[in-house]
Amino acid sequence: MSGTDISASSTVKERADLALNNEFLRQAVRFTTERLRSGKMTAAEQHGNWEEWRERGRQIRLHTIAHLDYYLNLFADNARANGVHVHFADTAQEAVNISLQIAERKKAHTVVKSKSMVTEELHLNHALESIGVEAVETDLGEYIIQLAGETPSHIIIPAIHKNRYQIAELLSVEAGETLPADTAILAGFVRRKLRQKFLEADIGMTGCNFAVAETGSMVLFENEGNARMVTTVPKTQITLMGMERIVPTWADLEVMATLLPRSATGQKLTVYMSGITGPRREEDADGPEEMHIIIVDNGRSLQLGDPEFQELLNCIRCGACLNACPVYRHIGGHAYGGTYSGPIGAVLTPALNKNVAEWDDIANASSLCGACYEACPVKIPLHEMLIYLRRRKVENGHGSKLESLGMKGFAAVMAKSGRFNGMLKLGKWGQKLVVRDGGIKVKLGPLKGWNSYRIAPSLPKKSFRDGWRTLEEEIRHGLKDMDPAVKSRMEAAIKKRAEGASHSHER
Amino acid sequence: MNDEHKDWLAYMDAQSRDKQMLFMNGIARKLNRPRVTEPPSHPFRGAPDFWQTFQWTEQERIEKFTDNFRSAGGHVLRLADMAEVRQFITDKSAEMSVKYVIRQNEPELDALNLESALPEVKILVWNSNSEQHWKACAAEADFGVVVADYAAAYTGSITVLSSKDKGRTVSLLPTVLIAILPVERIKTRLGEILADFDDAGGAHLPAGIHFISGPSRSADIENDLTIGVHGPGVVYALIVG
Repeated sequence: MSGTDISASSTVKERADLALNNEFLRQAVRFTTERLRSGKMTAAEQHGNWEEWRERGRQIRLHTIAHLDYYLNLFADNARANGVHVHFADTAQEAVNISLQIAERKKAHTVVKSKSMVTEELHLNHALESIGVEAVETDLGEYIIQLAGETPSHIIIPAIHKNRYQIAELLSVEAGETLPADTAILAGFVRRKLRQKFLEADIGMTGCNFAVAETGSMVLFENEGNARMVTTVPKTQITLMGMERIVPTWADLEVMATLLPRSATGQKLTVYMSGITGPRREEDADGPEEMHIIIVDNGRSLQLGDPEFQELLNCIRCGACLNACPVYRHIGGHAYGGTYSGPIGAVLTPALNKNVAEWDDIANASSLCGACYEACPVKIPLHEMLIYLRRRKVENGHGSKLESLGMKGFAAVMAKSGRFNGMLKLGKWGQKLVVRDGGIKVKLGPLKGWNSYRIAPSLPKKSFRDGWRTLEEEIRHGLKDMDPAVKSRMEAAIKKRAEGASHSHER
Repeated sequence: MNDEHKDWLAYMDAQSRDKQMLFMNGIARKLNRPRVTEPPSHPFRGAPDFWQTFQWTEQERIEKFTDNFRSAGGHVLRLADMAEVRQFITDKSAEMSVKYVIRQNEPELDALNLESALPEVKILVWNSNSEQHWKACAAEADFGVVVADYAAAYTGSITVLSSKDKGRTVSLLPTVLIAILPVERIKTRLGEILADFDDAGGAHLPAGIHFISGPSRSADIENDLTIGVHGPGVVYALIVG
């Protein structure tokens, strides 16, 4: 990654304020996430039996992770038998060192890359540049943000935050002439420009969506064809793979191929799904001559054997939880500050870093509404993990006095789920007063105890807890118990705002 | 490859094997149990049971494949025989002023005898000699002509497998991809195709297995759908038989 690393510098509050002030970003994020989310829902509905498929996906992931030593070992042995050079890296630094050694041995000038979150995690582009190797992102969105010197803001649509005029400006610099802000022309320019890069590059670098243990194959899902380019044209291929990317068999891949594209973009299958089994055969006329797979831990194994977080390793990186999350939809990816954004990022970033103190404020930027869990194709209970994170932070003594108070209130509420639901209902009513464009920023009413500066999302119209009929009575009582005077004051405030509100951003 | 590089690779491989054992032992330790070295029982292998028996008739497979491939932006034609394929390619070449065609080196495609049908067009046969730079040939081709090994109707995907005679770039670098799909190769589900790869085992798989479900696309600029970003922007599936 060349350029801005906004992660370390500021709190989630400051980053969210930046995002909230950027009107285009807010609209773009909302539009895109809505498009992807409704695409996913349509695809799931059309496919049918979605719950059975989710459950099967979860079972396969659980089984694989529970026997990861067996399957990963099998994969490594089989990949090696196919002629792949397999490497293991405990840390990001080790993975970077191996990659740089290969680049140096190959006297590489240029590396073409297809989208890979692992390489983002490792800041590999930056490392390659430090030894004078040009690293070119070839996914259209990734290429754009690389030119802008930024980081991805969405796992599936990384340049979600850029408009076509900004993109035309960036590409015009590359072209040496002014390009019109026309999508087809801009994409055509990138096609020509990157064709050259594919053909001249010394190394192709990819991530890995899945690795089939029984045949030692690595599988990539994509729409543009750049991952195929990267794995076919250059003489050397390097694949960076998270240690948990394994599925036992191709039969299991059918389940992942059913869940991943539908959950990510609503497609029945991505335009390309490629299974690469070793380097080119002796007699083949294309494909890499030398193929490396670097298996990366970098904090993943910290989740193994942890009853609260092991299921994080089931993640298939589809981005559905981002699109479903009211907080993500409001503040966008950069506010999270890590490589991974949205609900999965809020849990994965601190989990991989084993660094609760520094990152926990992300966990607070969540509504605990469960939309992430409901969207997840392998049923990772992200909303519960967010609660564990908050608890661990306090246990570790990182909670401020105010936050501890908030936690106490929170624990008391959680201990009596009826009260929690009542609070949610109340919140839905009370939030009318404080919601601006789908988000809550003031410290008022039932939400005030949670955190002094968190940006709460607006609560979904129907939360997952609403279905619990047995608690309905308590909820109604809760509502009735509201002081009529308070209620009328709130109603008056809403009315007043409706009459005269035209301010765009409140502090 | 020079000897020094070979030595380095051998050194790295030796290191990797040592590291592999430590890596796996570490995983087992974190999982609080001894290493698992025997295949664990895998009760939830593959798709749910109700899916494994799901089948469409041939007519349904053709229709569903056609619908799905078209809705992803691909073109589908149903042709009676290879003579019609020859005619289609000839007409299309004229219509699009094609100069270069690259095709896989397969008997079905030899039989089309495109050279005589398109005397003005340069037709290259993949890997038919060792002098050509084949990747560059594929890059400059207007048409890439392949025979699909499989298709999955449910997802609207064709499958192409690589070999000495079947280049991966032939279905990737040309501007237009023409895939000939014998009707009996259309399966209902993806899983029917994937099962063959499990059965074959790693040693017998080709280096490249590619599922293609329409033209290359991207929505990375303002969600505006763009076709032909890196791969072929025009894709024909010609169902034959």
